Amino acid sequence: MSEFALLAASFIGAEGSGNDRTGLRPWPDSVAGALQRGELEALGWSTLFSSETSRFGRMELLSRLGLMAVELLDAGFEALEPAQRDAVGVCVETCSGCIAADAQFLQTPMAGTFAYTLPSTVLGEICIRHRFRGPVLCLLPVSGRGGWLEAALGWLNRGEADACVCVACDLMDKKFAASITSPHDAPGGGWQSCAILIGRRTGAGREHPLRPESLPRLARSLVIGGGHRLPPKT
Amino acid sequence: MDRAMSATGAASAGSGRESSRRLDATPVAIAASGEVTALGLGRERLEQAVLANAGGLRDCPRLAGKGFQSTVGGYVPDEVWRSLRERDPAHADAPAFLLADAALREARADLRSGGRNGAPPLVSGGLPSAATADFGGGLTDTIPPSRRGLVLSTTKAEITALERAFHRQAVSALAQRHLFPALLAADLAAAHDIAGPVQCVSIACVSGLLAIQQGALLIQEDKADLVFVVGVDLCSDFVLSGFTVLRSLDPEGCRPFDAGRKGLSLGEGAGAVALARRERLALPALTVTGWGSSNDANHLTGPSRDGSGLALAMNRALRKAGVAPRDIDFVHAHGTGTSYNDAMEGMALRAVFGNPAPPYCSSKGLFGHTLGAAGLLETIVCLIAARHQLLPGTPRLECPDPSVPDSLLRTPRRVESLRRILKLNAGFGGVNAALVLEWGGA
Repeated sequence: MSEFALLAASFIGAEGSGNDRTGLRPWPDSVAGALQRGELEALGWSTLFSSETSRFGRMELLSRLGLMAVELLDAGFEALEPAQRDAVGVCVETCSGCIAADAQFLQTPMAGTFAYTLPSTVLGEICIRHRFRGPVLCLLPVSGRGGWLEAALGWLNRGEADACVCVACDLMDKKFAASITSPHDAPGGGWQSCAILIGRRTGAGREHPLRPESLPRLARSLVIGGGHRLPPKT
Repeated sequence: MDRAMSATGAASAGSGRESSRRLDATPVAIAASGEVTALGLGRERLEQAVLANAGGLRDCPRLAGKGFQSTVGGYVPDEVWRSLRERDPAHADAPAFLLADAALREARADLRSGGRNGAPPLVSGGLPSAATADFGGGLTDTIPPSRRGLVLSTTKAEITALERAFHRQAVSALAQRHLFPALLAADLAAAHDIAGPVQCVSIACVSGLLAIQQGALLIQEDKADLVFVVGVDLCSDFVLSGFTVLRSLDPEGCRPFDAGRKGLSLGEGAGAVALARRERLALPALTVTGWGSSNDANHLTGPSRDGSGLALAMNRALRKAGVAPRDIDFVHAHGTGTSYNDAMEGMALRAVFGNPAPPYCSSKGLFGHTLGAAGLLETIVCLIAARHQLLPGTPRLECPDPSVPDSLLRTPRRVESLRRILKLNAGFGGVNAALVLEWGGA
């Protein structure tokens, strides 16, 4: 048995959002209606959280999705001391990357948009909000998913981090996705985001076993299979 | 406790880091390299430029009149582009593929020759297999395609395809595929008979160093025996527009660590290294002994003003390598030429090394800031430095900034012993990375 465990998980997608304690919560009608029309901007910070974040409105949508998924972990990051934050790694995986932001920058070249034309910008936003300064990595999966969790588990195993926030997020216009080569080559359209917190086992509640061999399957079930299968609170 | 993080081992934060173990897996070293830059195709041109401290930045007439803050950069020579397109017309409108493919071909040729460019010859017994002979040397017969891996480092891949599509110009299906860096990685692997693990790292300007880290891990974790790490990026209108709106380009060309520096110069190119277990290489070789990364948690496009984030990454790399700051002989800095970056690096060097800091330099004046290729190409400069036992200079430096450590290298200098090198990069999103490289035997 690994000495590390999955400590929290969250999901945000067209079906709704939730975490391992709450399960999936469908979007309220007002938001769901907008999402069906493709207005992802309707997914404001206040849709999910009562606290404020001044940066959110300036962010491109992929960063918004990733940041919201991390917030949905409800993991108590705000109580961490600075030294603890230095030991939290962040690993991001995305198939679509920043192609939506790239298209936006081509339309309107602005400094505030250019900052989001990297797949890893979401990682920077997460680190800025929670002041995480541990190891970082952004992977674009070539075949199969799960590299993000393997990388993060490697940090823990090698003593390079004490805990890791792993985020998988994707955002792509369906028409654009369909226009790119053959369907099995290109990432699919649509949007979703998932966050997982892994760290050392403590024996306390809200832990799920974490075995390296199960990571790809775990990632698939959480990211592609949909957050509606997130386990309930233990 | 109810909330997840409160109950984690992170409550003992720092304990894991402080007890960080030295790499206990088999050491991984650079077996070969390949490169295409503003200086041309192949290591010899890069080597000559490093030895002569002569940069390859130039103005690019085709970019004039487009409103960019600067058109001075590290552009791959037209004759190189012509030769690459003639060799592979199917990818004529896929320049990122052409550059990465060229660097991989060079690395394979270097590997095949077992030292054509001075790389350490591979030592492995057995008869070559016809199916794998292209990988050359004694190594290939023992490394089937399924044990060869590839890690791609890039920030924008084939972004020119999106530009052309936006302007309603023709774009080949191949170029469209490579808008997605992962598909570029997959196609490069297929083109080079690599059937083992393939990864794609895209994390701003630290992509290259983290790709080398990932490549080393693939070997240490026994997922591959030979891993090609290739970095590529283009001087596209897209990227030039971005740095123009940020007002980050020096109209006259970059001057890293200079008192009069005004910004960076972009470069295009590709660099590739082949990694293998050091025990398979004839010595001396350049071994990856430590790595570290961090985030500033401060700003998306500007570095932390105090250099503490980069210092964290440096200390992590030193700890992993099991060496102290005093053991480092030379630092190859990121050194972009922007006011903030170079000042930040100066502070990070002081924080880690105190006074005096080891000799350090920047190579951005050689071939520009090549973004996703920077970590690879600059690691190859470290390889050249180690092989020649020479500390490279900082091309285009005129008047060193008095606020940075005074061990800045203006011109190349031969030394009696260059053994341990610290390689640094930093990038957008507040990311920092460091590698410790060690030249020598077991």
